[in-house]
Amino acid sequence: MLLRIENLHVRYGGISALSGVSIDVAEGETVLLVGANGAGKSSTINAVIGLVPAAGGRIMFDGVELSSVPCEQRARHGIGYAPEGRRVFATLSVTDNVLSGAFGRGRVRQREALDWLCSVFPLLSERAKQPAGQLSGGQQQIVALARAMAAFPRLLLLDEPFLGLAPVWIAQISDAITQLHRRGTTVLMTEQMARPALKLATRGYVMRGGEVRHSGTVAEIRELALADEYL
Amino acid sequence: MDASTPHAGLTEKLVRRERFLGGAEIAAILTFAVTFAIPLLTKSVLVYSVLNQILVGVIAAQSVWIMLRMNLLSFATPAFMAIGGYTVAIAGRHDITDAFLMTAAAFLLPALVAVPLGALVLRLRGTYFVLVTFVLSQITQLVLFETPALTGGSNGISGIPPVTLFGSELASYREMLLFACGLALLATLITALLTRHFRQHFAAIEENEILAESLGLVVWRYKALGFIVAAGVAGLAGYSLVNMLLTAHPSSFDSITAVDFIAYTIVGGRVSILGPIVGSTLLVWATNLFGTHGQYAQGLYGVLILVVVLAARGGIVGSVGALARRLRS
Repeated sequence: MLLRIENLHVRYGGISALSGVSIDVAEGETVLLVGANGAGKSSTINAVIGLVPAAGGRIMFDGVELSSVPCEQRARHGIGYAPEGRRVFATLSVTDNVLSGAFGRGRVRQREALDWLCSVFPLLSERAKQPAGQLSGGQQQIVALARAMAAFPRLLLLDEPFLGLAPVWIAQISDAITQLHRRGTTVLMTEQMARPALKLATRGYVMRGGEVRHSGTVAEIRELALADEYL
Repeated sequence: MDASTPHAGLTEKLVRRERFLGGAEIAAILTFAVTFAIPLLTKSVLVYSVLNQILVGVIAAQSVWIMLRMNLLSFATPAFMAIGGYTVAIAGRHDITDAFLMTAAAFLLPALVAVPLGALVLRLRGTYFVLVTFVLSQITQLVLFETPALTGGSNGISGIPPVTLFGSELASYREMLLFACGLALLATLITALLTRHFRQHFAAIEENEILAESLGLVVWRYKALGFIVAAGVAGLAGYSLVNMLLTAHPSSFDSITAVDFIAYTIVGGRVSILGPIVGSTLLVWATNLFGTHGQYAQGLYGVLILVVVLAARGGIVGSVGALARRLRS
């Protein structure tokens, strides 16, 4: 198992955001966390990358317990992260944004990453010098995705990659995620928009109120999505 | 996919560009190369005096600018200036005046002191960082007054011998000024190399520290590096100031002067290394226009900072740049 989350608890002040979440992600899988706002999807992702501390439970990545590993070291262990809301460095150029995903990896590896990403996403070379803040929402999401991929992570965390995007961009981002998946990248993504996300996933978990309510194959989750009020 | 894609050439160019100095850095260094000509072209005491003050201001403002690159507003500049300045003064009292040795000492000592201080203050962000760096400058004043055996207390250290370069004294006003030009050039070179080499890192920290961390950037390491180099650069400003006055006195390193250096940087423009240079030049020159009414200069700085913050965030350099871009398109 590449990522194993066991009985994870997260609290913000006195408020419990996650209570006893357990999630497994095997190498090569694309796992989807679905659920409404406040279900605990983002908290789960943030606990894995280390932006919020775990109040209880364990997160194991490739056999290493992450609780004592600081945020920036988790990225260097091979976890890539594209935050919710397309947070790009608005004043930095598109190229600098992408390169910033490979901090401290040396210029040769940065160049390799940029070459590959420019070939996958032509947008990156077309808009290379433009400040990322001037791009449209979908374009910014591509930049955020490319940035998360720049260090060739083994596990890619995508927090609501389709949020607020037009259908044409959802299709483009979906294509990109499929390409990354084919390259062997393991993906853990969250999404409220279950329908397009389910097309990409191999397995899914349904979250609600800080807990995992269901887990299963894509077909099972899709049935739940049709029947249930969760989604 | 391998590196032999059609994009390889483009990306190579984009990555390689990072290594070298950019246009603004080269312009800044050239400015100081040209400054050397001024003492050789004129003997006007007024020009000498104003230029000397500008050169001190530029170095101090660059120290402020390094920290602003990471969105940290430092009031600690006078404290590190005092360490650099007093190092030179105390050494001078023992007849140690070699230019190279003292330049190294004036940079390294404040930088060394910044290591433990950085560990303490770099945990703080925003207003708390501002407050604590201001307190550092206040404490430095107290230390200067309370250690008369070392620093001369409220009398300071006067009668410092002039700098010696390759064994000969730089005693004339012109020679002293040429040395001040050299210090400013060195400080600019250090600042340019640091901020250019770590441009991406500093910019990412400036814009979104937490996001940068989540991408694997060891934020504290770059903040510490910036703080240490900024302290060293401030030390050079202290050296230049003591060299100008041939005296080290607590009042020269008053914590309130931190506001002046911040004003130089913000009014000049925090967007580029040219900002602190333009800001110092203009504001020091303007202060001298006030003549005997120098006390109004602080008021002028206050008004100018207000104007910049409200109307032109990029300062003078940023506004000119924006105007040029608009005209071009």
